[in-house]
Amino acid sequence: MSSSPRSRSSQTAIFALAIGAAIIGLSLILLYFGVNVLNAGGQFVSGLYPPIAVTAEGAKIRDLYTVVFIIAVVIFLLVEGLIILSVIRYRRKPTDTELPPQIHGNNIAEFVWTIVPTILVIFMFIVSWQTLNAVDVSSPTAQTKIRAVAGQFQWQFEYLAEDGTTVLYTENIPLVSAGGGMMVPAGRTVQLQLFVSPKDVIHAFYVPQFLFKRDVVPGRTTAFDFTVDAADAGQTFRGQCAELCGVGHYTMLFEVKALTGEEFDTWLAGKVAQANATPSPAPSGAPGQSGAPGASGGPGASGGPAPSGGGETLQISAQNIAYEQSSLTTKAGAPFHIEFDNKDAGTPHNVAIHKDSTTGQEVFRGEIFPGVAIKTYDVPALDAGNYVFECTVHPSMTGTLTVQ
Amino acid sequence: MATTTLTPVATRSRSALYAWLTTTDHKKIGILYVINSFIFFFIGGLLALGVRTELAQPGLQFVTAAAYNEMFTMHATFMIFLFVIPMLAGFGNYIVPLQIGAPDMAFPRINALSFWMLPLGGILLLLSFVTGGSAAAGWTSYAPLSEDRALAATGTGQDLWIVALVLIGTSSILGAINFLVTMFKMRAPGMTLFRMPIMVWTVLVTSVLVLMATPVITSALIMLFIDRNYGGAFFDPSRGGDAILYQNIFWFYSHPAVYVMVLPAMGMVSEILPVFSRKPLFGYKAFIFATAAIGALGFSVWAHHMFTTGAVYLPFFSIMTFLIAVPTGVKMFNWVFTMWGGQIMLKTPLLFALGFLSMFLIGGINGAFSASVPVDFALHDTYWVVAHLHYVLFGGSVFGIMGGFYYWFPKMTGRMMNETVGKTQFVLMFIGFNLTFFPMHELGLLGMPRRIADYSSTAGWNDLNLLATFGGFTIAASMGLFLWNVFLSLRSGAVAGDDPWEANTLEWATTSPPPAYNFDHLPEIRSERPVFDARHGRAVVDH
Repeated sequence: MSSSPRSRSSQTAIFALAIGAAIIGLSLILLYFGVNVLNAGGQFVSGLYPPIAVTAEGAKIRDLYTVVFIIAVVIFLLVEGLIILSVIRYRRKPTDTELPPQIHGNNIAEFVWTIVPTILVIFMFIVSWQTLNAVDVSSPTAQTKIRAVAGQFQWQFEYLAEDGTTVLYTENIPLVSAGGGMMVPAGRTVQLQLFVSPKDVIHAFYVPQFLFKRDVVPGRTTAFDFTVDAADAGQTFRGQCAELCGVGHYTMLFEVKALTGEEFDTWLAGKVAQANATPSPAPSGAPGQSGAPGASGGPGASGGPAPSGGGETLQISAQNIAYEQSSLTTKAGAPFHIEFDNKDAGTPHNVAIHKDSTTGQEVFRGEIFPGVAIKTYDVPALDAGNYVFECTVHPSMTGTLTVQ
Repeated sequence: MATTTLTPVATRSRSALYAWLTTTDHKKIGILYVINSFIFFFIGGLLALGVRTELAQPGLQFVTAAAYNEMFTMHATFMIFLFVIPMLAGFGNYIVPLQIGAPDMAFPRINALSFWMLPLGGILLLLSFVTGGSAAAGWTSYAPLSEDRALAATGTGQDLWIVALVLIGTSSILGAINFLVTMFKMRAPGMTLFRMPIMVWTVLVTSVLVLMATPVITSALIMLFIDRNYGGAFFDPSRGGDAILYQNIFWFYSHPAVYVMVLPAMGMVSEILPVFSRKPLFGYKAFIFATAAIGALGFSVWAHHMFTTGAVYLPFFSIMTFLIAVPTGVKMFNWVFTMWGGQIMLKTPLLFALGFLSMFLIGGINGAFSASVPVDFALHDTYWVVAHLHYVLFGGSVFGIMGGFYYWFPKMTGRMMNETVGKTQFVLMFIGFNLTFFPMHELGLLGMPRRIADYSSTAGWNDLNLLATFGGFTIAASMGLFLWNVFLSLRSGAVAGDDPWEANTLEWATTSPPPAYNFDHLPEIRSERPVFDARHGRAVVDH
């Protein structure tokens, strides 16, 4: 570039051309390397958008997000454009020896950029409030009532009778992939109560595809309604605790599975019948009554009341959401016992054994029970090989078992 | 006579270090604040790199979950309480007396006391790492997790954290009183309130916020300490306490604290933009009223951090939070129209000021999403919020602090900083910042909660986390350049002279660095730009 003074407009034009050329050049380079620029750009833009909501309430929140997002983008482009334009247009040139006009302000301008944003934010407040009244509701008439019981660091789901307090069935396993999860009837309004023992800490029930979360606060019971779209029956949604609750916070996962209304009724009736058939321990207490965050036997638990027959007995203990043993060995082809010492007060654990890895076939699942307690499992004979044991409630708890 | 000549010799034999340790000069104390703050900035930055390293890939590879919780807790604690707040107080210490034409702060010894509480608090926090683990309940330390709960991994470290924060808070309160008395009692003749530079005004409003809010969090901290150690039950629901009460008291301080952390940075930007545009600040008085309005509204928005508790009156806190965007927007437009029609010189301080404008703009706009309660239900406690707060506190405060550092470094040391290294640092920091924090918006929308040590490889968060980690190390590289620039400039920077930027305010009317007690003589003060008036005469002032 020559140092000869150029007119302001030609300098600006060169600058704009350079930026434009840089953008086009970068796009061409990306294209050359096989990056679909339009596609990547589209993904980037859609990434600024929440996932498609699967509840009626979430859909309303997503609509509101659209309103706020459009206003935000317009304001950003306007102000950022002004910043960039003023820097490009008003660069100091070598010929600028005199001071520019010393303008101290303009009352009309101040008035305009006070009033217009005020109107804009009041508009955003009103549309937000309208949506709030539609999504933050809890009706006692909801047909399905479920209580999510949080605790360090697991979720339990209690299916309630119409009175909203009697527990029909308790699901101790938070993940669908582990045989549990929270089942909900798609197309029906569900009232979800949230409960945590006063002796526990704050958690938060969060399902990203609901576009909703609510804190679970010790000493308080809150509830909200949601309706999963009927069209989403059969899908599973990921959920997670969203309020820091201690060392195992990141393990506090759960899954929500949407069933059709009839499937849900059949499933729940089956679970209730099963729970009534087995001599189940006392159902978990109503809010404010029990100290521990729910205490009940899990379904499908194997293992008799007392160790029977001979065979080796392995010792496994759990404390602070971890097994105290990392690897164990036993003999192949002979039944054995596991004496499991759960030292975490109020926290349910068990021992389940999988072939090869935690995703391998489950060959044994011990009963889930809260600590502090000791139970002995009878494990059938296993073939020689490598196995892992894990806690069904806390998949981060694992150890290896070698059968030889 | 013999004895009187002996005394100075004895004094001189003491080291320069002793002089710095015992100084009551506001300029030296200001520099001590800045150095101390940068030390904790680098400690906090290392912890942030630890967090990003752990999150780069799914799986716990780098640290245990307990150590991870300690890292992000202490990262935020150091950055907020020992970097941003004291750094801005340090600049205020150095700049405010100079800008109002005062010889020193009103209470020089209290000024020294309020500084020395900070390293003490910092040492207590650092000690917690070697006394069985630091605090690990997040910088918010929500009860009952911060109570003596099982599986919270908060032992002695939590108590040390409480004591350190009470110390640092006391330091803030003493500093705020000192600033207010200095501003109201020690202004030079002619320096009326409405001729004070915007930097001074922002420190004034900040001091009022500190004075009104800090005692409140101190009460919460003391109650928490009693709960933990002396059988209190203020915040323990199992013994009749209230977990939400802690959040209300905590945020009654900690939301105004956000303005404590950003208003003086706005003040710095408001000094830099006019100088490098060769124009006065557009709407000086509007700017002051907007600052005061932010301070006042700042006390009525605390519960927007608690929308998802289901225990606050949502519409009130929603509308107040929305309204705070209005004075912030007024400032933004005033900054833009300060540049409009000017003669802009793209020196490093201005680059950082422009970085502040652009990044704080994003941080302000994505705040509107959280003000909308239903949208906040989706975004709260996810990485979206992490993105938002870093766009405000890094994109805002840190870019402002960097701009202020490059702007006032010549005044503090008498030497210019290297422009080439400075510009390179800006570009690297700007890119690194956006690579780190912009993807966090998307992570939050995809449902990644804050404060998780690990995530599933099938959640769809892998690429964005890797990108953010890459950005984090880019920021670290830019900080390496910064340190090198400071070293280079201290050793062999060009001599600055009194007024290298052709600036407006009184600190440029004295030598660089200024002598003890600051001024031999002051120019006439007839506007908010006395040094400009002295340079150009009154003729150009009124246009």
